Amino acid sequence: MNMANLPRSLSLAALLAFAAASATAQDARPIAFVNARLVPVAGPVVENGTLVVRNGKIEAIGKDAVVPAGARVVDCAGKTIMPGLVSAVSRAGLDQPQRPRDAQGARQGGRRGQPMPMPMPGGGGAQDKAAAKVIEGVYAKQPVFGELLRKGVTTLSLAPRGDAFPGLGALLRPDGKTLDELTLDGEAFVMVGMGRDGQTKKLLKDNFAAAQKVLEARKKPPEPKPEEKKPEEQKPAEAPKTEAPKQEGPAPTPNPQPTPTPTPTPKPEPKPEPTPNPQPAPQQQPQGQAPAQAAPRRQEPPKNPNHEVLADLLDGKRRALIEIDSATEMLHWQHTFADAAAGKDATADGKSPAPTFPHTLVVGGHNTQEGTIDQVLDLVKAQKPAAVLLPPTLATTPRSRLLTHPARTLHEAGIEIGFLLGSDPATAEGTFFRLMELVRTGLPADVALKGVTLVPAQALGVDKRTGSLEVGKDADLLVLTGDPLDPASRLESVWLRGQQVPEKQ
Amino acid sequence: MRIQTFFALALAATTLAELPAQGRGRRGQQPGGEAPPQAAPTPAAEPQKSNKPKTYVAITGGDVYLGTGQRLTGATVLVADDKVEAVGHGLEIPAGATEISAKGKVVSPGFVCVLGAGMGAPRGAPFVDSVNPFDPEIKQGLAAGVTSFLAGSPGGGAMPSGSNAVIKLAYGDVKGMVLAENTVAAINVPMSLADRQRFEETVKQAKEYLAALAEFPKKKAADAAAKEPALPRGAEALVPVLKGERRLWVNLQGGGFNPFGGGRMGAASDLPAIREALAISRLLGVGVVLQKPTSAWLVPDEIAASGSMVVISPRDRLPADPKDPERTGSNLASSALLAAAGVPVAVTCPVGMFGGAGVGTGGILGQDLNTPHVDAAYAVRGGLDNRKALRTIALDAARILGVEARVGSLEAGKDADILILDGDPLHYATFVETAIVNGKVVYEKAKEPLYRHIAR
Repeated sequence: MNMANLPRSLSLAALLAFAAASATAQDARPIAFVNARLVPVAGPVVENGTLVVRNGKIEAIGKDAVVPAGARVVDCAGKTIMPGLVSAVSRAGLDQPQRPRDAQGARQGGRRGQPMPMPMPGGGGAQDKAAAKVIEGVYAKQPVFGELLRKGVTTLSLAPRGDAFPGLGALLRPDGKTLDELTLDGEAFVMVGMGRDGQTKKLLKDNFAAAQKVLEARKKPPEPKPEEKKPEEQKPAEAPKTEAPKQEGPAPTPNPQPTPTPTPTPKPEPKPEPTPNPQPAPQQQPQGQAPAQAAPRRQEPPKNPNHEVLADLLDGKRRALIEIDSATEMLHWQHTFADAAAGKDATADGKSPAPTFPHTLVVGGHNTQEGTIDQVLDLVKAQKPAAVLLPPTLATTPRSRLLTHPARTLHEAGIEIGFLLGSDPATAEGTFFRLMELVRTGLPADVALKGVTLVPAQALGVDKRTGSLEVGKDADLLVLTGDPLDPASRLESVWLRGQQVPEKQ
Repeated sequence: MRIQTFFALALAATTLAELPAQGRGRRGQQPGGEAPPQAAPTPAAEPQKSNKPKTYVAITGGDVYLGTGQRLTGATVLVADDKVEAVGHGLEIPAGATEISAKGKVVSPGFVCVLGAGMGAPRGAPFVDSVNPFDPEIKQGLAAGVTSFLAGSPGGGAMPSGSNAVIKLAYGDVKGMVLAENTVAAINVPMSLADRQRFEETVKQAKEYLAALAEFPKKKAADAAAKEPALPRGAEALVPVLKGERRLWVNLQGGGFNPFGGGRMGAASDLPAIREALAISRLLGVGVVLQKPTSAWLVPDEIAASGSMVVISPRDRLPADPKDPERTGSNLASSALLAAAGVPVAVTCPVGMFGGAGVGTGGILGQDLNTPHVDAAYAVRGGLDNRKALRTIALDAARILGVEARVGSLEAGKDADILILDGDPLHYATFVETAIVNGKVVYEKAKEPLYRHIAR
């Protein structure tokens, strides 16, 4: 393959053809980006730096990084390299595809009396399926994933839509062609949606209370005589038999969210390969079933997979994204969660227990009719979220054109903030432009860039692997013609794990 | 201090009696020259057992309208946490209290609206789960002086029904927003004969049920196997009405003369419907609430005798029937005539002004004189005493909602829902300067973009 000897003069198309044809050959051969302005997000900007990628990982980065012998050298003079964007909450591929208006009309005319399913903007109402995996309802061969990737989104999550417990969100590899290729982690996080209605609040309260019970049962020390068949005791005795000691370890950790890296990864490493077997609670089920078979039937009530998932969450073994769109919803969440955790009117004396599991607050949109999230700054702080993800836009005071800057307000209050990139490629493409507006109105530029890379990666628990340019991390790179926050800059190429993403054919 | 209080108490009754009916002029001219009346007419605050230190707020030096029809000049309203601790002169202000000076201003209870919409109102039961305490309309309502209103459906139909809650404009406080749930049930009159028969039958069953229920503990003691009486079907809302736990509102339908339509509306008098409502009141043995009667001014004594109350929209006009102009149509003096007969009257805004739902925002509450206090001023124009007129949007409105024990007046032990106004409460040009709900300042004119540009 002597074509690889002339990378600088290669036309882009030829390079892509090469990349596609000889992926394995290229894997072995390191790539060195030289003369680049490196924006690592996790550290200071490096002018005229070198970035070495080998086997899809970043091998070296810095001014004095050595270009390995035999490396393919990519000259990036005048260009900027930054980590790929991380979209922590996306509904790409879940949305109803928008049909052209006339086609829609024709179809409606054809089936009179059958209402078209209306895609609900906020969510599909209160749901009670915490253990349902959103990935199982996704059609893999949708162009939207690839389009998002070409706009710079190298890490994509898929969040189920709805209030209360809409299910388990997934982590996607946006260049996947099949569902297996697409799925990095089918149960990357528990999605929780807050809503201002009795049904949602009841579901939240009941399920958290039930999960708390499951957790308490798990934490009981294993009984010496497992033969004892007391219906109530059976489950607590059996289920944690092998696990309880392991669980006791991480559970009493006083603060599961250390301040420097807000989101720890108490969960086992996200499986890179897809999980073939849809198990709601993968670790619990087999152990729970074995003794049930030995014991007479009906002794052990069937486990509710939703409660098992939430018990894992309360135990700190899963992470949650909690969608709270407004100040009002924040108040309702506080009451709901506090009441569920304490089993009584916990906020009466002004105290509200914050979730002890790793969680990120997601503000889907600035809602002036219910108050923007910065109006309840103290409450947000008290919840101790790993981060708050919010739309990269300014808001206004109610019924006015007076602009407010929730992101800046939260940042100045010491809260880690990240941004939502939207679900469609057009929105993702405008991300940098929106960030420019936020930076112009006072948000530090490094916070803005961190908010679309490292912070959402932390929220998803993949910050060990991506989200910044650091040695050992995946080479998820964006090559721009200038500073990311310069309106004249253009996204030139996207690299996913050391492979250049081909442009649309 | 003690002597002073004694002296003040001795003076109190006479002072209040002497207070002249307030002038209708701007800011209500006070009787000048006299020594300020020293009065402490409110009952002493009940000693409350609580180990938590209270947060005190003292509103000092204002003309305090108690909402009961009384006024204290230069008095202090002392608020402890979310309740009024005491109102009067020469109160000892606890150390650490936040003092709000209302010198030259008017202090009044927050206005209570018999029916409202918007303003953070919940979408339905369970009410506390869907209130919106950051609704920008709440600020608008507060700017118009509203601190409580009935949200949801008061009900209607042939049997008492309704699912509603009294909502407070407690900005930023979920649980503080719901004062009480289902304090009101409503029926419609006139009823058809069949409905009337069914209603009377159900009332009979409900009364029997209540009697059996009262007997039950005795029976249970005698016979352990005794069964608790079952609530009769269809009487779910009726039983609380009979027990006095819910107010029964009677929607008067079919009255009113329509000079153009003819047909449905009938004559310009709803007297038959009023009489039917009063008959229901007698049947139940409890006073009812007549909703916007047109002809109530004809029979104030009958209404008073039944112990019923009236909701009036003084601005509503109904032309008289030309054939009987003396006894038909609306009367601006309705509120005054009814109040003179001793009927509690609440005022509300005209039907259709806000989509027919009483007080609501719809973007305009308070911005074009569509505010409770202007409605009450219409009652004053009809001859109602100025001091009594404040009751129509305060204490009497609270009675009509069945929450008079909590809101509607500045009395010790009641909720601290207080307005500081820059003039007479019923003057059209008066603005709310500060609104306090549940003891917390939730609106300040100087800080909100609504009216802060209007200097005084």
